[in-house]
Amino acid sequence: MDSTNILTQVLEASDRRRDERRNFLRVAGQATVAAGGLSLLAACDDGQKGFNPTPTPTPTPTPTATAATDADILNFALNLEYLEAQFYSFAVYGTGLPASQLTGVGTQGAVTGGRQVTFTDPIVAQYAREIAADEIAHVAFLRTALGSAAVAMPAINIDGSATGAFTAAARAAGVVSATGTFDPYASDNAFLLGAFIFEDVGVSAYKGAAPLLTSKTYLDAAAGILAAEAYHAGLIRTILYGKGFDAGTASGSIFDQVRMISDARDSLDGSTDDDQGIAGADSSISNIVPTDASGIAYSRTAANVLNIVYLTKSATVGGGFFPNGVNGFIKTSNAN
Amino acid sequence: MTEDVNQQLIETLDRRVERRNDRRAFFKSAFGAAAVAGIAGGAAIGLAGRAEAQTAPSDADVLNFALNLEYLEAQFYSYAANGTGLAANLLTGVGTQGAVTGGRKVNFTDPIVAAYAKEIAGDELAHVTFLRTQLGTAAISQPAIDIDVTATSAFSNAARAAGLIGAGEAFDVYANDNNFLLGAYIFEDVGVTAYKGGATLLTNKTYLEAAAGILAVEAYHAALVRTVLYRKGVETPALRTSADAISNARDSLDGTTDLDQGISPTTVSGALVSNIVPLDANGIAFSRTVAQVHNIAYLTNARVMAGGFFPNGTNNPNADLRFSGAN
Repeated sequence: MDSTNILTQVLEASDRRRDERRNFLRVAGQATVAAGGLSLLAACDDGQKGFNPTPTPTPTPTPTATAATDADILNFALNLEYLEAQFYSFAVYGTGLPASQLTGVGTQGAVTGGRQVTFTDPIVAQYAREIAADEIAHVAFLRTALGSAAVAMPAINIDGSATGAFTAAARAAGVVSATGTFDPYASDNAFLLGAFIFEDVGVSAYKGAAPLLTSKTYLDAAAGILAAEAYHAGLIRTILYGKGFDAGTASGSIFDQVRMISDARDSLDGSTDDDQGIAGADSSISNIVPTDASGIAYSRTAANVLNIVYLTKSATVGGGFFPNGVNGFIKTSNAN
Repeated sequence: MTEDVNQQLIETLDRRVERRNDRRAFFKSAFGAAAVAGIAGGAAIGLAGRAEAQTAPSDADVLNFALNLEYLEAQFYSYAANGTGLAANLLTGVGTQGAVTGGRKVNFTDPIVAAYAKEIAGDELAHVTFLRTQLGTAAISQPAIDIDVTATSAFSNAARAAGLIGAGEAFDVYANDNNFLLGAYIFEDVGVTAYKGGATLLTNKTYLEAAAGILAVEAYHAALVRTVLYRKGVETPALRTSADAISNARDSLDGTTDLDQGISPTTVSGALVSNIVPLDANGIAFSRTVAQVHNIAYLTNARVMAGGFFPNGTNNPNADLRFSGAN
């Protein structure tokens, strides 16, 4: 055979081997993202004098024998984007995403709840419109990047009634009483608190997932969406801070409600204290940005993100905002 | 025997493809935008432009590039919030150490803006400390930094380029809340694009995660500043138009791609929509190359090694990472 034929055969063999490798990983075990694996890479010394990498504090390693593929990770993100996009779309427009944006692999579900907010502060309405457009764009982008591998939108609960996921979250956090109702569509402030539930979680999810992507192109895109979610979270936290500043941390105040939601997330996602409210140590300093001592935003593993959106400390495959779980390979929360 | 040779060839080809893509990615000046455009069009990700035979920067080079920016931001916010600069032991290292020119405590009237300044100052100081710790004896020293407010200082030149002041005038970012916010606005989005552009250059996964974490924090900061300007812009429209002008000025320096957006709202279906978050059509933040970040920091559209906020240039053992680009 001439060299061209040999090369072609080698390249095809290479593609086949790569697919086989991925399929092996796919079927080999449970689909939790190998966040713990990061610590194994931390000790690399690139040989430069004096340059001894000190690993940043890593999250508690999640014991797992498998790693998710790039597509698995993007699909995990797509589930979260479906949730955010539907919430903001209903809040702003009173309707959800078009049907063509919901199809794909896995069981397609419906959205329960969601209605248009009657904003009283026109500026908050402007912010809501902006964020809605961004999240809708994220859904479209991820669906296009994944093509026929994109998961369908799973069943989503964004209901503001007594039996909705928002009420469950608010009751657990203490924002409303054990029998109270939390309706994020009822007022500007309720909407902002509802948004607050999601935005920091999105940041930590993308930060946790980005380093696990193998494709540099997808990494670049994930970094870009990470930044977008961080802008959103900064926006929401800044609005809440401005509205809440005068009342400070008094019981039932905006600062207090934000703290309760943050503490609730911390109570679900394991022992690391990786969530913070917006009040600083005193009124002379804010805490718009939740960071560790190095000024770095927190990561969450995919499993711990699912703990928050499933509203559970247990290892399970659905609940809360995703009554039937998310679609795709990464779908199990952690036993915390 | 044939099996082993094939296997070796497969792995060699895999590695070659990966290295070539990395090189092309580094030199592609609008990597983020073009790659995203490829995705949006449903096409395979293509990397336009020819790779040049140069060495990619090391992780240390990239972290040192970032450290220059953190020195600048940390000093500005430290003076603005607290009236003092960074401690001397945080400024030493490789390369020519320089001094900070200018800087003083802002005359805050809004306690909320003062609270934000103090928070951001703490974060940027933490970034300096973190990067210096990671780099150890490879950390660059702080180069000469200009955060002064004379008529010929960097802040004034930047403001003049944006049309905020006229010839011979000075822009004093420490004079009041609004000026401070506009001064902060000059930096924050640039930090986001710098970390986004730099993240894909890193090879060590721990550093990548840390860079992603700092990227996120700079984005939180940028959103904070943009949101405050937007909200105060209701009563003081000049804040919005000034921010827009600064964005346009940055765009005029860093090449032809539209990487920067102001905050003023647009009207969609008859309703106002804010622009707190500068994103492309896919909802993705922009990247800048090392060179483009230097164009803004040096306040030039030319290929130079010093200027603007860094009168003697940034420090970096890899001289390639000290230049602005020819735009």
